[in-house]
Amino acid sequence: MIGSKLKEAILCLRTGLVTLKYPFAPHPPEEDFRGYPEVDVDKCIGCGGCAAVCPSRAIMIQDIDQNTRRIVRLLERCIYCGRCAEVCPEDAITMTKQFELSSDKAREDMEVESQIFMATCQRCGRCYTPPSPVDKIMEPGFRDDEIKRGGQDSPYEPVKSAEE
Amino acid sequence: MSAQQLGETVKQRFGDKVLDLSAPDLGQLYLTITPDSVVPVAEYLYKDLGCRFVVNSGTDRRRERGKFLITHFFTQDEEKIYIAVHTEVDEDHPQIDSITPTVPAANWSERETRDMIGVVPVGHPDPRRLVVADDWPEDLFPLRWDVEHGTKPPPVEGVAMPRLDPPEGASVVPIGPYFPVLEEPTYFRVCGEGEEGGGVDHRGFYNHRGVEKLGCSVLTYNQVPFIAERICGICGFVHSSSYCQAVELAAGLEVPERVEYIRTIMLELERIESHSLWLGIAGHIIGFDTILMQTWRMREPLMWLCERISGNRKTYGMNLIGGVRRDIEPEMYDDILEVIGNIEREWQALYDAIPGDGTLMARLQGTGVLPTEVARELGAAGPTARGSGLAIDVRIDHPYAAYDRLDVKKCVYDGCDNLARVLVRLDETLDAINIIRQALRDMPEGPIMAEFDEEIPAGREAMNAVEAPRGEVFHWVLTGTENRPERWRVRAPTYANLQNVPPMLKGNALADVPICIGSFDPCFSCTERMEVVDVNSGRVRVYTQEEMLAETQGHSES
Repeated sequence: MIGSKLKEAILCLRTGLVTLKYPFAPHPPEEDFRGYPEVDVDKCIGCGGCAAVCPSRAIMIQDIDQNTRRIVRLLERCIYCGRCAEVCPEDAITMTKQFELSSDKAREDMEVESQIFMATCQRCGRCYTPPSPVDKIMEPGFRDDEIKRGGQDSPYEPVKSAEE
Repeated sequence: MSAQQLGETVKQRFGDKVLDLSAPDLGQLYLTITPDSVVPVAEYLYKDLGCRFVVNSGTDRRRERGKFLITHFFTQDEEKIYIAVHTEVDEDHPQIDSITPTVPAANWSERETRDMIGVVPVGHPDPRRLVVADDWPEDLFPLRWDVEHGTKPPPVEGVAMPRLDPPEGASVVPIGPYFPVLEEPTYFRVCGEGEEGGGVDHRGFYNHRGVEKLGCSVLTYNQVPFIAERICGICGFVHSSSYCQAVELAAGLEVPERVEYIRTIMLELERIESHSLWLGIAGHIIGFDTILMQTWRMREPLMWLCERISGNRKTYGMNLIGGVRRDIEPEMYDDILEVIGNIEREWQALYDAIPGDGTLMARLQGTGVLPTEVARELGAAGPTARGSGLAIDVRIDHPYAAYDRLDVKKCVYDGCDNLARVLVRLDETLDAINIIRQALRDMPEGPIMAEFDEEIPAGREAMNAVEAPRGEVFHWVLTGTENRPERWRVRAPTYANLQNVPPMLKGNALADVPICIGSFDPCFSCTERMEVVDVNSGRVRVYTQEEMLAETQGHSES
């Protein structure tokens, strides 16, 4: 009985102080930690791969019109699995080391919304990701002048200039 | 005996009653029998062939076959065979004979199947509802295909679970609905006389998350592992491994050998982590916080190691169908060995101290006795079963991943009490360290993901079990169309172990109730991927709210 208590005491004493100073001192996670997924919306091409693999359905895709795709990432639903970063063909998503994410306005703080200019399928009229950047530039509506000109394929009304 | 031979034996005995028999794999046997022979076949398997009941499942196959498919799962541990006994039940007469009077372990899962699919087990000794909320409509069965995921019937007030009648003169001690020791929602009503506990009534399943429905109606094959992992907060990797292995078996997918070793290592790391967490909690329950402090301190470097390997302390998110997402780089081997070496040294010190400690012995020895026979009858799993002298361990009985190539020890104690269950876990932790060393030594080079382009064909099925820290985790997958399982059935170990609470508490002092319940490492969130209630033997005196108020007022006045 006494022997056991002594053994336990030695086990405790040998340990010394182990409590970390966190949160008063930083405690960075390991390399390759899967924290807050940061989205570089400029790189996004709107393919929707991330939404297709997301287990918690945190990423929603909505086509506003034939050329515009709206992607809403409700990151308060995110389970930090990192599948979106894994499948993204453009490496637009990075899993950061940020893990201190509590907020009293989670919904606003954790929502990332972007709108992507897409190509329109001439057969079904729905959005798709153009095969190359050149194809994207050729899409009616991509450039301002295209809109102004009101080209034959353009879905927009021609913009009237001040002179007219 | 192979699975095919076992099937032939059953067919010889029951002749035409066995409609179909297939054994696609050495360890898997599928029987389809007529509805009237369910009880005799179950009795034959359980009593004559020495099989153990695992779980039962209901599948809505009205679209394909116009029938409900009820499946009883058994296992023959000596022959390393899992047996699925399918029965098709008519849509118009959704009834099946209950096997609970013959196989007591089927109690909860038959009730769950009734709640979920609506096939009534006729002759069930405790026909109360188990899983669904008290105000859930009687005629709405969530796992039927025509009930949409996310269906929310309007709440109804003034309904409650029918409770068991109390015996004359006994008083009731409510524990829960927020279980104070494990910080999880469950509700035990222990009735007793004086200090001695008697019958127990249990209501759980407050945390029903509908994970199975989600997997069968919304997610795709490769999304399920991440949700499966979240069935349990402590032993998540076992669920995703078991699910992935079941789908791989069903699809006939060969996974690279390195994947099997990585899964084995992660499973064993998880076992060390879970057992040290549990030992700390157990110490805490009996008021011996030194153990809590020390085991949780030992555990912390392991959590950091897992974070380094997988990207997260828990819920590793490593499993996908056909492989794992992250490799264990060779430069990590030394770090792993160092961390587990340190744990081994300190664990050994703890191990040496525990058996001599009078405080611990007084609380553990001879309390919470679960006799071997009862444990077998009620289907105990994992350390709970092994502490009661049942030598069952999925890693050896039904080897998966790389366990067939490694030296694994079955840690069995026949003390049947809380101490035996502690010793089993102490041993297993040291054994897990040993297994990791072997796996790191033998792990071959190679890819970490199987190459496959084809779709997983529909209508195939596979069973797989994994030895979680708490016991046997069982997954059954029936593949479907639309890139998702048609049915995915999960049985967590606590589901089986919780049914052992009533006999375990009988005759114990009320002060020992928390450690008795704690001794099988209950995980209510695992169990409640659907919901549960039990039962039993119990006689309970129930105080109404008025009585309780009167009681307190009486005290304050006096």
